Amino acid sequence: MTAEIDRSSESPAEPETGQAPLGRWRFINNPFGRWGLGFAVLVVLVASWGLARKSLVIGVVSDAPLVLAAIGFALLYRLTGLINVAYSETVTMGAYIGMWVNTTFNLDFYITLIPTAIITGLFSVLTYFAIFRPAKLRNVGVVETIIISFGLSIFIRYGLQFIFGFEFRYYDVPVPKSLSVLGVGVSPFRLTALGTTLGLSLLLIWFIRKSRLGVRIRALAGDEKLAQVSGINPLATTVLIWFLAGVAGGLAGAFYGVNTSCRAWLGWDQFLFILLVVLIGGARGISGVLVAGLATGVALSFLELVPGLNATPVYAQVIVIALFMVILKVRGNRLLETGKV
Amino acid sequence: MNLDWLSQYTVTVLILIFTTMGLALLLHLQLGLTGIGNFGIVGFYGVGMYAFGMFLVHGPWPESWGTIWPFLLSLLFATVAAGLAGLLVGWLIVGLDADGVLLGTLGFATIVYGLSQTNRQWTGGAEGMGTTDYPYSLGTQKASTLLWLGILAVVVALILYYVIRVHRSPYGRLLIATGQNEALARSLGKPTFRGKLVMFATSSAVMGLLGALYGVMLHYIRPVELGIGVTLAAIVGLVVGGAARPWGAVIGVLLVGVLFELVFMVWIPFPTDWRKQALPVIRQMLYGSTLILVLMTRPLGILGRMRRDKTVRRPGRG
Repeated sequence: MTAEIDRSSESPAEPETGQAPLGRWRFINNPFGRWGLGFAVLVVLVASWGLARKSLVIGVVSDAPLVLAAIGFALLYRLTGLINVAYSETVTMGAYIGMWVNTTFNLDFYITLIPTAIITGLFSVLTYFAIFRPAKLRNVGVVETIIISFGLSIFIRYGLQFIFGFEFRYYDVPVPKSLSVLGVGVSPFRLTALGTTLGLSLLLIWFIRKSRLGVRIRALAGDEKLAQVSGINPLATTVLIWFLAGVAGGLAGAFYGVNTSCRAWLGWDQFLFILLVVLIGGARGISGVLVAGLATGVALSFLELVPGLNATPVYAQVIVIALFMVILKVRGNRLLETGKV
Repeated sequence: MNLDWLSQYTVTVLILIFTTMGLALLLHLQLGLTGIGNFGIVGFYGVGMYAFGMFLVHGPWPESWGTIWPFLLSLLFATVAAGLAGLLVGWLIVGLDADGVLLGTLGFATIVYGLSQTNRQWTGGAEGMGTTDYPYSLGTQKASTLLWLGILAVVVALILYYVIRVHRSPYGRLLIATGQNEALARSLGKPTFRGKLVMFATSSAVMGLLGALYGVMLHYIRPVELGIGVTLAAIVGLVVGGAARPWGAVIGVLLVGVLFELVFMVWIPFPTDWRKQALPVIRQMLYGSTLILVLMTRPLGILGRMRRDKTVRRPGRG
């Protein structure tokens, strides 16, 4: 979190629609408070190394698909200002399409990732043209757009259930030999997922910060009219954003699917966590999403592993959700500024 | 009284429709007037349902109280519990924008669902818990359920009356002003945060009451009852009828409920083997596509625009 501090979001004028951050917690905004907090966390980690090591490895490795999915969602959210609930169905679709390609054509898992990414990317573009572009042209409000995407999400989810049936479906992959990382056994698929996530996010960060198209994307997000006047084709750029988001979501879904099973509720079960990660970390761009996503994974597995707590996965999720809701409240509405990636 | 013409299933579906109508009316206050998109309706409903069940089953009731007092007190407890939950969630989210509200309400519903599955000794875990029968007996189960439908209809009518009263009160005008331009309302010195919080907590409390009443009809409450379908049905009904009008919730839920739950699921003679799996899935797809179609083609629903002449007095007429 401390890697880059967005000075512009610390401007003295609070946006008028939010509640001001609570006074007692204001030290979070102060770099010294932030570093102090980080130091305290470090001390706790070193003191409980056995536990911390396990939860670090398990959390980082098992929630890599979450980070990947969150990055795709953050692209849409930050660059088009849209909360797309149906994005969870892009993830589900990635799992199902990967499974279908894998079992129908007997392809290796890693090769199935390529058609999966392309198909889900195209599907994401399709939802843009079929639903979200017409909605924008009709000036549908923010809440109404969220409700529309909610309806779309329900429609696709049950559509997938109708096509693929109720029962869980599995990839046809050889049972992998688990590797040892810091003394914790890890499936190689999870490691690949982590590698893909890190690689893709670095690529995206470079792409959006440095490349010509990235500059166009940022210009479009900042001021659409101005971007248009400067000769940027908004449609092509927007389609590119949707395609990239679909690719990230589809890959995340394929990794979820191969690690566990394919079911119609796969994406929806993750959606809340995707949203949490993006709303908390997204204000600091893709690197923020990366850090927040991995931190969520580590926190979840830490809570499950703490011996005295006896937390089942459900409790760990409940605690993390409640914690993030409080963080959101404490920080107030600082998400109004869009387009700073 | 001969009730052969009416099937028990139809009465149950009617109770579901009336419960949804009540939820949609309360959502109208939140979404239609104030612009708070509550995606966690089922959370408050579930708090009411489970608070009622747990308080009734585990409460230390003396024998001399009979059955009716514990029943009524548990209903009250459920309402208060859901109201407190609404107060807490409202305090967290009411100041945030649409994204934060989505996250907070969805997160709350997930928390309630998660907690209903754990704590076996209190909630019965994933298998659920038996609660109680109706606090009266009319001979047959069908007649008793029919009376319960009547009681529920009275409750929903009271909610409708309250919503209409809110529309015509200064408090309602504060909510409308907050929903349309909160910054402006606040700059005029209106307590927008407090107004929204009070509205959110009261409507959540009544959502809890509806959940408890529905739980009585179920006799046996399970986490499965707290799925996304409850929220979806209320949102679709309200949007179809018209989110800005109190009667929108009534008309929309009646239309959608009768069409999808009775005509589609019961009255059209589909092959029997479709009923188990295919039809419920197609019904949910219909709900989703209805939501998209209505919001794209007629975003104000059947009834249309809010009638401001009724809510705002014209200047110069007293």
